[in-house]
Order: sequence, then C-alpha cells, then structure tokens
Amino acid sequence: MDPSNVSVLYNSPHQIPLGILLAQYFYLTGLSAGSFVISVIAILGGKVEYKPLGKIGAVVAPLCLVLAPMNLLVEMAQPLRAWHLMTYLPGYVNLKSPITYGVLLLTAYPISALIYGFFVYTENMKMSKIFAIIGIPLAISVHGYTGFIIALGKGRALWNTALMPTLFIVSAMVSGIALMILAAIIRNVYMMKDKPEKEVKADRELIYGLGKFLGGVIVFDLFLIFNAVLVLLTSTKESFHAAELLLWGRYSIDFVVIELLLGSLIPLFIVFYPKTGRSFAGLTVASILVMIGIYAMRFSVVIGGQSVPLH
Amino acid sequence: MSKSPSAHVSSADEKRQVRFAMVIDLRRCVGCHSCSVACKSENEVPLGKFRSWVKVIEKGRYPDVSRQFLPSLCNNCANAICNRNCPVRATYIRPDGIVKVDMHRCIGCMYCMASCPYDVRYINPLRKIVQKCFFCDHRVDKGLEPACVETCLGRARIFGDINDPNSEITQLMATNPVVTLKPELGTEPHVFYIAADYDAMDPTSGVDINHIHFEEPY
Repeated sequence: MDPSNVSVLYNSPHQIPLGILLAQYFYLTGLSAGSFVISVIAILGGKVEYKPLGKIGAVVAPLCLVLAPMNLLVEMAQPLRAWHLMTYLPGYVNLKSPITYGVLLLTAYPISALIYGFFVYTENMKMSKIFAIIGIPLAISVHGYTGFIIALGKGRALWNTALMPTLFIVSAMVSGIALMILAAIIRNVYMMKDKPEKEVKADRELIYGLGKFLGGVIVFDLFLIFNAVLVLLTSTKESFHAAELLLWGRYSIDFVVIELLLGSLIPLFIVFYPKTGRSFAGLTVASILVMIGIYAMRFSVVIGGQSVPLH
Repeated sequence: MSKSPSAHVSSADEKRQVRFAMVIDLRRCVGCHSCSVACKSENEVPLGKFRSWVKVIEKGRYPDVSRQFLPSLCNNCANAICNRNCPVRATYIRPDGIVKVDMHRCIGCMYCMASCPYDVRYINPLRKIVQKCFFCDHRVDKGLEPACVETCLGRARIFGDINDPNSEITQLMATNPVVTLKPELGTEPHVFYIAADYDAMDPTSGVDINHIHFEEPY
C-alpha cells in the first residue's frame, strides 16, 4: 500500500533507551584511547624530540578514562547495582555480552595506563616501552568494544554492521590526535618559555607533523563513513530510513553539517593547506572543530540509530 | 474451552519439553484493547508503559478503507538478543521458552532495550528496572492462561505448548498460514500472527520518521 494512504491511529510510545550520556561515554573513551596510542607511538618511536608527546598522552589518557564511566553510572537506572558487573564470575556475568568485555577492559586499561605513565615520568624508558606494548591492545580494545556494543544492538539498522568497531577506533584516533595537538600547543606556547629557541622550534615542527597525521586519519575516517552510508542506502528499508535521518532528515545538521563539513572537511583543508597547516592558530581551530565533529558523530550514531521506529 | 496448558501437567510417560507460544488470529481481533487493559491490571504496569498493546492503523482511500490491528507483545524469542546482550544474566530463558528478567539482578543499563528489534521492553519508573511481557508466567505456572488470552473476547489469542500435538495452538498453526514479526533477524519469535496486515507490521509505514515524539526511558 502507498504509505501516504496509511495512518497510524494508536501505538505505544517510542523510546530512546540509550541517551546522550552514553554518546559522551563513547566520546571520552575514544579520546583516551586515541591519545594513549599517540603517546605510545611517540615513546616507541624512540626519538628524543617525540618524548613530550609521550608525556602528554600518559596524563590525558587516564584522565579521560576517569571521567568516562561516570557517565555510565548516571545513565544507569540502578547505579548502586553496578558492582553486579564486577564480580567477574562466569555464573554471575554473561561472558557473551560486550558490556562484560568492557568491564574487564575498563579495569585492566586504566591500571596499565597509570603504570605506563609512572614509568614515562620517571624516565624509565625500558619499562615504559614494555607497558606501552601491553597498553596498545588494551587501549584499542577499550574503544573497539564500544563499537561492539553498538554493532551487536541487533534491532537497530544503523548499528548492526561489522564496520562499527573499526569506525569507532578510527574516529577515536581522530579525536585523540586533535586533543593531543591542543595539549601540545598549550605546552609549546605557555610552558617552554625558559627552554632554548632550538628546542621550541623542534617541538613546533613535531606539532605540525601531528597535524599532517591528523589529516591522514581523517581521510581514512571519511572513507569508512562513505562505505557505511553507501551500504545503508542500498540495504534494507530500516537501513534506508536510518541513512535518511542522517543525510537529509532529523539529524542532518549533526551529521552532514557538524560532523562531515565542520568536523572533517574544513579541518582537512586547514591541516593540508601550507599557510594554515603550519600555524598554531590554524591547527587550534582544526583540532577544536575535529573534537566537536567527533562528538556530533557519537551523538548521531547513538541517538540517530535509535530514532528509527521498531514497532 | 480446553484445559489450559502448564509446565506441570505433562504426562509421566512422555518426557517432552514444553515450549510456550502464542498465536494471534487477526481474523478474530476487533481492536477492543482489552488485552492491554488486562495486562496492565494483572502485572501492575505503570502509567505510560505497556507490556502488551494494540497498534491500530487505517489504510486506503475512501470508499476502499479498512482499519487493521496488530496486538504487540514480547515475542519470547528462542534466540533472544536481549538474553545474549544482558551483561549480568538478569535476562534468562526458562526451559519452557519464556524469556524472563530477574528483577533483583537487573542493573538498568538498558542495553537489552536498545538491542531488542521489537521495542517491547521498558524501564519501570517506580522500580527502576527493565520489565516486559513474560506470558504471565505466574499464571501459567498455576495452570491458568495469560491475562490477555483469558480476557480476549473474540478469542483471537491462543496460548499453549507448541510441542504438544494435541494442543489448540499446534493444530491452529498447522492448518493456517502464520507469520512472525521480522523473521529475517533470526531471533525465532514465538508470537505468531494469522492474517496480519503488511502495513501494520511495517514500523515505518504511515510514520513521519523525522517528527516522532520520543519518550524518556523513565
């Protein structure tokens, strides 16, 4: 029947169970994982001039991860029962649920990140390299599992795709690098006044390099988003409606304008255009735009995915 | 009316597993909503929430018009995604197939609500836990039928054991074309419909998805 000849007279209310706080949780774990990976790359890279990045990441990563689970506690209907998740006994927790993977990772990752940070700040290069290698899979899976939470939400057409964990990890890298660039710029401008001119200049070159790296990861992120949207448009009816909501419907401002245009394409231009890509003003604007864009991405995935009616 | 099925009444000589299911015969449904009322009264479902409700649509262009109903409730899936995704094993599947939520274990993370393809779960705003239709298991265990089945005045709802070849539901399913909601998802729903309308089963038909009013979870 032509849908214009159908009208719904009565139905039960449409609910959105997982709200903005969950999107914020994904955003904060993403920031943490992304900045940890950059820190680890800097430490394992071995060059002396990379070391400041390693130190910044070692502080930012655990800090974001302290804030992240608080969103979950506020979001839960029974926050006082959160300990039910932490018994770690197979009879009491469901080992098939991605939330259970997450609880294990959210316990292991901050501990390893704190130990890593301790060794980075005490200049113990050998031990910090060991904990860097332990931390990388933990950091990536801490964010990858949030992708599984979304992907295993079987009822939602926007979520139920194998692309989600990869998309989440890549967007985590994007936002993490942007946060690292901001922190590195603050350090360079305000905290290196007593350092020799040569060291400040080398640090500046490092930040410009990080900007180029940000551009590369944004390109990969855009490629994944393109894949996801193209498949959504040609898949089932629910998928088409999910794509419709994002591309020209209710969430088009969040997705197309904020995430794609302001959060990806404009920063991409800024970091690769030599005049702006080699200036702190340009990189600051690009990083802030990217961080707002990734927040909009989390919002449009979490809320937009639940906005297609199911009954 | 035939004697209601129960997990306890299987005869001693045949040890077969009971599997409860429901058939909703829409040729008999008059859209009176008494199943919704009976469910709310039986299970103390709070204001604004429903375990069982009747979706009503109108379709066609005058004078060729009709009103179609879709009584909706938890499908008590055999391969329930809510059971797989619940992190604390609050959701579990009884041996007779009823999908239950343990109210003492539920932490209210709402992941089951987000992953359910049929949107049948809700948070009880008073108890702050997830609830849904359990086929009135407290009644079924005592040998009674679920409240909605008992109250249905057109006898559109038939409840019983689909593993029992002599039950009314098995005979009805064997002799009529039945469908389930979203069979492509592989959740194996156990609420079957006879003569369900295509547009009533389509969640997006007749809905402007850009202007849906969303309900707060609790």
